[in-house]
Amino acid sequence: MPGGGAGRVLIGLLLVLWFTLPMVPVALWAVAGRWHAPAILPQTYSWEGWSAAASSGLFPALLASALLGAGVAVLATPLGFLAAVSIRRLPRRYARPVEGILLAPLAIPPFALVMGMNVVLLRAHVPAAGGVLLLLVVTALPYTVFMFRSALAGYDDRFEEAARSLGASKAQSIRHVRLPLLTAATSRAAFLAFLVGWGDYIVTLIVGGGQLRTLPMTLASAASATGNEQLTAVLSLTVVLPPLALLTALLLTRRHGRIR
Amino acid sequence: MSESSATTRRGLLLAAPAVVPVVVVLAGSLGAALLQSVGLMPFAGPATFTLEPWTGNAGELARSAAVSLYIAAASTLLAGTVGFAAAAYILAMPRTGRLVAAVSAATIPIPHLIGAGAVGLLLSDAGFLARILGMPDGGFPTFVGGPFWSAVIFEYAWKESAFVALVIVGSLARSVGGLCDAAATLGAAPLQRITHVVLPLALPALAVSGLIVFVYTLGSYEVPWLLGRISPEALPVRAVRLFGSIDLDSRPQAMVTVLLSVLAGAAAIIGGLILLRRMRGLR
Repeated sequence: MPGGGAGRVLIGLLLVLWFTLPMVPVALWAVAGRWHAPAILPQTYSWEGWSAAASSGLFPALLASALLGAGVAVLATPLGFLAAVSIRRLPRRYARPVEGILLAPLAIPPFALVMGMNVVLLRAHVPAAGGVLLLLVVTALPYTVFMFRSALAGYDDRFEEAARSLGASKAQSIRHVRLPLLTAATSRAAFLAFLVGWGDYIVTLIVGGGQLRTLPMTLASAASATGNEQLTAVLSLTVVLPPLALLTALLLTRRHGRIR
Repeated sequence: MSESSATTRRGLLLAAPAVVPVVVVLAGSLGAALLQSVGLMPFAGPATFTLEPWTGNAGELARSAAVSLYIAAASTLLAGTVGFAAAAYILAMPRTGRLVAAVSAATIPIPHLIGAGAVGLLLSDAGFLARILGMPDGGFPTFVGGPFWSAVIFEYAWKESAFVALVIVGSLARSVGGLCDAAATLGAAPLQRITHVVLPLALPALAVSGLIVFVYTLGSYEVPWLLGRISPEALPVRAVRLFGSIDLDSRPQAMVTVLLSVLAGAAAIIGGLILLRRMRGLR
């Protein structure tokens, strides 16, 4: 880095500022009471934003988003695992098109998938929640497949063979060798799939047709109107903090596992 | 032969629960969009073939496409630059780099909708930045809804630079340390180590992540909807507005906008992959 020690620290600080600055007003507005224009910091602090959020349906929305995220994770993680195993086993001429199809949803904007599919779902009488779940699982599959693909690429079948030759039964080798080796990839894949459902807006908006009040739906109606800074900030934090806590927990357990 | 075809069949069966829903959704959505865009799947009334939705508003559609391409290009350029700088810093500074790595990783799970709301609070004309700079009334440039889409581009650059940094660090973490040490032993200054060792090694990861960012920002709705202008609109904003309109004639036009976005994304991917292959050929 140019400029010696001070320059290095300065560049580091600028980078930290770049990544954190946008969330600073969110954190402040979440606890601000009165905060009129020229004041750099809130003039008074209060929990107004939180009680406003609670009365505008925060808890049912939180539950709906958690269920949607969990539903997507529960479906897309095992399907992604099976597909990754299949791609690994299949001869190249089948494996490549299978992988291509499973990665294709990444190339198509979510709003395009949803708007085209909406009429199909309506004519097939698929209930709104089912349609949302189907589209989000399809959106999440490229991520879970990719996660398991890269985990399996580094996975050596001889680990299990070694366990078997030392007298482990098939079930034991799966339980004590395969599962622990794939746990990290599974939790990463499930986390990404959960995020797809937890943070989705456009699919819920168009297919859900207003029936599914998730957190992002509540947030979007607050953020698109003016004068809702406290509510927007509180809802933003309730969307951002749970996954961050989950991510930190994942990282900590992995570090703990490595020490042992 | 029979054993290998049995393996193939079993392999395809394993993939089927994932492949079938993807194929249903891709074929269903693109097929229905195409049929609706030429009048063959009307909301009500008889189906009649027409190209009017494709030709009727070509000028407005072209302006929307231009806006989306501009936003995607500017966001990708900025995200790539800052993302590379962050990755180089993380790789070169083992101790202070860890803090940069942590805050950039924490940025990644934030959905763009929340990012857009946050950037609105930061950059609007009485927002946090205007207050810090002491210019809440007048004087502060119009970033949100402004003529250059600055707030939209800033949001994308912010979130996607974290993604670019993650991809580069992930692809280089194992190889780059030793090479940087070797270059340092041979007398390379820190900046030389970055331009002559880290940058060439990072180029493939930078190019791939840049392509992903470009395609993503081209087709993303929430950010230009919350932070952009009303006219001309970005392609996704136009599509969603037409889709939600009570005027039934606008449904086919919405589908034209959808298909144009898909085509633009596909063209970007194909072009990007050709470029990537050339880059690999050059080395």
